[in-house]
Amino acid sequence: MAILSRRALASAFARSFLIQGSWNYRTMLGSGFAFAMLPALRLIFKGDPAGLNASVQRHLEHFNAHPYLSSVALGAAVRLEAEGASADSVRRFKMAVRGPLGGLGDALVWASWLPAVSLSALSLVWLGAPGWVAVLVFLAIYNLGHLALRAWGFQAGLSEGRGVAQSLGRAALSRWTERVRSLATLLLGLLVGAVLSAEGGLGDAGVLWSALAALAFVAGDLVGHRLWRPTAVAVVAIVAVITTWGWFE
Amino acid sequence: MQLLQIALVGGLLALDGTSMGQFMISRPLVAGALAGWVVGDPALGLVVGALLELYLLVSFPTGGARFPEGATATVVAVSVAAAAESAGAIPLGVAAGLIWGQVGGVTISLQRRVNGRFVPEPDTARPERLAAAHLAAMALDFLRGTAVTLVGAAAGGWGVRLLADSWPLGGPDSSGLLLVGGAVSAGIFLRDLGGFRRRKVLLVAGMALGIIGARFL
Repeated sequence: MAILSRRALASAFARSFLIQGSWNYRTMLGSGFAFAMLPALRLIFKGDPAGLNASVQRHLEHFNAHPYLSSVALGAAVRLEAEGASADSVRRFKMAVRGPLGGLGDALVWASWLPAVSLSALSLVWLGAPGWVAVLVFLAIYNLGHLALRAWGFQAGLSEGRGVAQSLGRAALSRWTERVRSLATLLLGLLVGAVLSAEGGLGDAGVLWSALAALAFVAGDLVGHRLWRPTAVAVVAIVAVITTWGWFE
Repeated sequence: MQLLQIALVGGLLALDGTSMGQFMISRPLVAGALAGWVVGDPALGLVVGALLELYLLVSFPTGGARFPEGATATVVAVSVAAAAESAGAIPLGVAAGLIWGQVGGVTISLQRRVNGRFVPEPDTARPERLAAAHLAAMALDFLRGTAVTLVGAAAGGWGVRLLADSWPLGGPDSSGLLLVGGAVSAGIFLRDLGGFRRRKVLLVAGMALGIIGARFL
């Protein structure tokens, strides 16, 4: 196995933060993945330009995953290349992990962690905390989880290589997702309660707006995402109508 | 000069949206605070950012899906809201942000098509060409975000100066209207979490805490 310097590994990890820089519909994350692999590949294939080119070309192929959890595949791919694994086995490994890394990441980060931390910051705003405190709390808490997940993923991939699926299993990301979703529910309730009762909230806007907001909340719960775009269009249309109405008064 | 500063902030925040880091400084709450600081009214930026954060609570940059771009939308919304002083400034700013978020989303899709032409074919790629293409795509994303914000802020600023004085609702009604829209997002997120039937205990407990907190804090 080729020895990889700390510098090359740190550089590959740092580049993983840019992995979506050239996201496209042809290779998706493929080009970003190959870009992140470059520092390690240059060391592994030192003095072998043909080997380097071939390796870059196979990592440039289509790949997609959640950007944070792609660090798992990145770490493991670095290890496989350093061990001299065949092109086919590297390709098969990446194909096997891309689906789970996408699904787990989307569920844990985009659908749970991000909205939960957003809700905590919004609740702070409505409960009267200074705005900069809410913003700093949001950035600090969110990125604590974000950076920890990326660093853990890269380290797990690097140390376990092809066997990283076991690490993913042990980490029980699905169980963590469920816990975060329970917390998010509590925070959603907290925000609703604060918006109903806080100064400048729905209580001050009157019974009519409170009743309409309750209906809107129930409609959102019943219909789901199909209601988001119509809501945005409705808000824009109502604002336009009210403005135009005032124009002719 | 301020328009240029706003546009540059939009460009930088757009980079965080997908291309660079995703530290979530591109989320409306943070983008609103930063844009508010640039236009000289951090409190306004925070209010507009918090409202758009609520609206975009269920909008995630997942896979190849088209999603409203929160960063440029929020910077435009704050810039628009700061351009007028009537009670209509915030609703008009939020409406401009919702429209511009869709425009930003379309430009992201276009950029991804262009990126597909930048990126070398896998069978002919060389390391230097790959690195150059990757960095060029990121530079293009910055320019895209800057241009989207510049056009949105300029057009929105012109529009709000024309329309804001005819806004007939007072402050509480304007807030009520915007919160009704936000309530839909909150409801959609509850459904994402499993819906009221499955989550009622935690939801009601949270509401009680929120009501108590708002009364006594």
